[in-house]
Amino acid sequence: MTENFQPNTSKGASRLQTDKVNAEEIQNVQVLTPRLQKLKAEWEAAEPQVYVDDTLLFTESWKETEGLPVDIRWAKALEKRLLECPIMIREGEILVGSLTKFIRGNGTLCAMKPREILEMCESGKFARKTSDTESTNITPEDLQALKEDALYWIDNIPKVSTVNAALEFDMGEDVFDLLFDRATVFEGRGVRYKMDRGLFQNFGAYGGGVAQVSAACIDNGLNYVIDLCKKERKRMMDEGDNEHSHGSAQFLRKYWLLQATIISCEAFIKFANRHADLARELAAKEKDAARKAELIRIADACDRVPAEPPRDFFEAVQCVRLFHLVCWKESSDRPEVPVGRLDQLLYPYYKKDKEAGKVTAQDAAELLGALWLKIRECENLVTIPRSQRAAPGSLLPNITLCGTDIEGNDLTNEISWLVLEAMAQIKLSEPAIYIRYNPEMDENFIIHALRCNREFGGGNPAFLNNQLGMDRYLERGVPLKDACNWSASGCLGYHLDCMEHVGGGHNISQLKVFELALNNGFDPRTQKQLGPKTGDPKTFTSFEQVIEAYYKQLEYFVPILHKVKMLSLCTEIADGPMSGLRCAMQYEDCIREGLTPREGGARYPEGRSSWLGSRGLVDLADSLSSIKKLVFDEKKVTMEQLMDACAKNWQGYEELRQDCVKAPKYGNDDDYVDSIYDDLSTKVPEIMQRWIDPVTGKKPMLFIGAAAGHVLIGKSIGALPNGRVSGMPTNDAACSVMPGMDVNGPTAAIMSATKGPYAKEYTGYAMNMKFSKSVLNTEEKLQKLAWLIKAFMTRGGWHVQFNIHSREELLDAQKNPEKHKNLLVRVGGYSAYFIDLPPDLQQEIVTRSMHEDI
Amino acid sequence: MEGIVFNIQRYSIDDGPGVRTTVFLKGCPLTCLWCSNPESQNPEPEITWRYTSCIRCGTCVKTCPLGLITLDDEGVHINRKECTRCGKCIETCKPGALQMSGRKMTVEEVYSTVKRDIDFYKVSGGGCTCSGGEILMQADFVAELFKLCKADGIHTCADTTGFGSEQALEKILEYTDLVYFDLKHMDPEKHKEYCGVSNDVILKSLALIIEKKIETVIRVPLIPGYNDSDENISELGKTVSGLTKDVVVNLLPYHRYGENKYRMVDMVYQLSNVPTPTEEQLNKAKEIIESYGLKCEISK
Repeated sequence: MTENFQPNTSKGASRLQTDKVNAEEIQNVQVLTPRLQKLKAEWEAAEPQVYVDDTLLFTESWKETEGLPVDIRWAKALEKRLLECPIMIREGEILVGSLTKFIRGNGTLCAMKPREILEMCESGKFARKTSDTESTNITPEDLQALKEDALYWIDNIPKVSTVNAALEFDMGEDVFDLLFDRATVFEGRGVRYKMDRGLFQNFGAYGGGVAQVSAACIDNGLNYVIDLCKKERKRMMDEGDNEHSHGSAQFLRKYWLLQATIISCEAFIKFANRHADLARELAAKEKDAARKAELIRIADACDRVPAEPPRDFFEAVQCVRLFHLVCWKESSDRPEVPVGRLDQLLYPYYKKDKEAGKVTAQDAAELLGALWLKIRECENLVTIPRSQRAAPGSLLPNITLCGTDIEGNDLTNEISWLVLEAMAQIKLSEPAIYIRYNPEMDENFIIHALRCNREFGGGNPAFLNNQLGMDRYLERGVPLKDACNWSASGCLGYHLDCMEHVGGGHNISQLKVFELALNNGFDPRTQKQLGPKTGDPKTFTSFEQVIEAYYKQLEYFVPILHKVKMLSLCTEIADGPMSGLRCAMQYEDCIREGLTPREGGARYPEGRSSWLGSRGLVDLADSLSSIKKLVFDEKKVTMEQLMDACAKNWQGYEELRQDCVKAPKYGNDDDYVDSIYDDLSTKVPEIMQRWIDPVTGKKPMLFIGAAAGHVLIGKSIGALPNGRVSGMPTNDAACSVMPGMDVNGPTAAIMSATKGPYAKEYTGYAMNMKFSKSVLNTEEKLQKLAWLIKAFMTRGGWHVQFNIHSREELLDAQKNPEKHKNLLVRVGGYSAYFIDLPPDLQQEIVTRSMHEDI
Repeated sequence: MEGIVFNIQRYSIDDGPGVRTTVFLKGCPLTCLWCSNPESQNPEPEITWRYTSCIRCGTCVKTCPLGLITLDDEGVHINRKECTRCGKCIETCKPGALQMSGRKMTVEEVYSTVKRDIDFYKVSGGGCTCSGGEILMQADFVAELFKLCKADGIHTCADTTGFGSEQALEKILEYTDLVYFDLKHMDPEKHKEYCGVSNDVILKSLALIIEKKIETVIRVPLIPGYNDSDENISELGKTVSGLTKDVVVNLLPYHRYGENKYRMVDMVYQLSNVPTPTEEQLNKAKEIIESYGLKCEISK
């Protein structure tokens, strides 16, 4: 007889800080102090307002800079906004930096999408990124100004951002049949629903890439960066640059970019100084001595940062706020600015102050709470119709915690604990928290995280596999010292912190490809022959023929996707401005290169090309399982009957649909279907990576997230042999089980998802799991959930997240939304208010398998 | 070797340490009034009817070759005495409201499922629990299953009422790491009244387990008005502490989760009006047990 397995309760190699964390002290902090309660209540009660000052300033600046290089114009437009936008310090605020003059203002830039903004002005309905359930107000004067601004841009959009023209010229009109709004074989930034675009539309998450808050900039101060730029400009003039660039467009653009970087950094510093002046002004009038002291503290901090390194914890937090805000302001079309590794950034300042007796866990908790409120305040108008939005309800200001250093030491610290506690107590949908899970980390920390998740109720934090996050980069030649510095971005992505460009994804809908394979390359939706003729499935005599037809379709589409992606991305690069602010954030590399991260200035090229995304493998495996079982193994139906049933969306075939639903499904540790999933999970990445990425010259990075894109993707796909009805959402994440389809519990679901190294090539390979509160009502049960995570990770899983609430609560929220305004749920890579989600997504979340106790 | 299994539950979180898989065996010689698994009592497979899934279509009534199914306002009834469990009604039940509870499975078949979660046992120190029904009724099967577990280093837990032969118990204990021992009442007469059998065999079994120094948790369902009197709890404390002080007594507050299951097998639930014990009642019982020098926990 062998020895039993022993639960691993050792604290492993976790170093220094972890063991010293006083869990009790942290769990007893009060994040929502009375003044934060007041601020939160004010935010909740505030009517959302359309905020127009920034767009008007942008336009004004653009007119003033006519004829200047585009990089300079872009920097000057930021400078104008930073120097002239209204700034606010609200009663009781201990941290400053508001996006707008309203408590709940929604920013926008007309230049980027004038027609859509004009439509909003004319309809009087302003859609916000985070919700559609309430309208957004606007004063008559602002409405008039916004309308005029939109009209100006409609008349004056320079001929830039010609992605569609480039695609049509090079690939023919037919290429649009594959894109977003038609058959949706490809989904991504190539073409949104409108064919004409504004000035640098999507200079946010897509075109410009995600702006990142730079720890190095905070630690060294922007004066340091400005100084580097000045020296480099001088060097260029004294020595010339490298031999290839003399007198070239590249030489000139570098010269202007350095100038743009200086302009942006100086404007940022002045923006902070404006807050210092306002705080001092308010302090002079303030009667209350304590408040006066706070205002002076704000003033001192805003005089110091971001120009110089923070002197203490408070200044560091204030500095983080300002960086996040300015990155937001710059990319006001689609911001999605990740906050980054907040615990790593703040801990050295906290530790120093705490040791000196200058700060307590309680002080830190309140400050983090204040930071939360400021981050949550940022909203923007969104012009993509709700039905076509990939991620309704999120602004994606991700915070990443923990991780390991170059020697493998776990980096969990007291701030990691406090951030989770702040999240649990403040109960706001954003920011999303990601923990870099390392099997050696303190289990008490994981239990703390799960307890906070239970209290928060909104599915935060998510857990990412620390080692796997590094391995994907190590394999591509990134040295360990940089590979270990990664953080979460977008809704399900991640990136090397300030060492690469972070763009969006270009996705291929595997289900559309499969639908084409089932129709001999013909698309029932557009009634066009989109793919090659891979055989009429009605004539197939073996299961292998079905799967081969699908692979052949995929082989046809991947090179086309590469081309669409290259043309979209490079056209935007050729036409767009280089952002001085982004150059500054990655100054160590970008200044020397004279390029921003997007243009190739980042240290590593991987993220430069957006990920190649793949969606729908679970639905595909389930569909193939039905075909294999019913058509070829049991011969219960013919392929012809099954195809007819799908074509008729099951009308008159309900019994067959039930048989399809009952066929073995992924997520139950059932080898019948899991072996199909295994085949797909091996072959699909192989096909997707068979061609090098023309943008990076390397093996493409793959992405398999769905976030809420599964609702959108679902709309373009007809009935499928897994029993799915036409138009319904597809699977909600990469390796989650189809809602309602797992009957063997969470361990079986995890087994299905980790039978092979499926997550190895994919970021976004996420598993959503839902537990009822009764399964987690004791420490012991939380511990059991912690062990599930551990097994998931040690088996090679990448990303797992949990929704913890009762089914009754969700059902009641559908019926009585007014009673559940604070009900948070995890959707994809983010949390959102349940009542703000569209009905089909609500329903899908309700049906997601819930692991119950009884 | 085969056993009659009515459920294998993975990620079972209330049946022992770590992440576990619980194998529920069918058949129990006890008929406790509060039983929360009434479908486990009959040692043979039987057809269950889930009223929440049933759409009252009446297909089963027409399907039954012996005409043993009726449908009335309360739902579906099966004449279980004459039912041959041919399963035809299950095959035609569209919403899946009719199901077979319990099926013959080989030890290897069961173990192949248990073993699937070995990675979860590894990280958590979990393993396999056999529960019921009463596992002593299928002792050879349980012993075989546990033997396979032990060969792979998987922790084993036997959840038993202790009602069975000494020989049966010893077979299982040879491969058992932990015993979950149910103790319902100390008075033999009352025990017979509520559970259908006296408790003398049960107490003997407990003594044997303690004597073998196998880690044991005593589990006491606390049912207000039935076994929660100070006298009974004191007697329990006294008896257990007389055997050993090295066990944990676990109080399980009575709940009615099982009530709906009675209709599924055409049985009648007799405890409908019993309330869940209050915090006060639970704490009092806990105090009494602790006064005998025993460790006591209340389950949630």
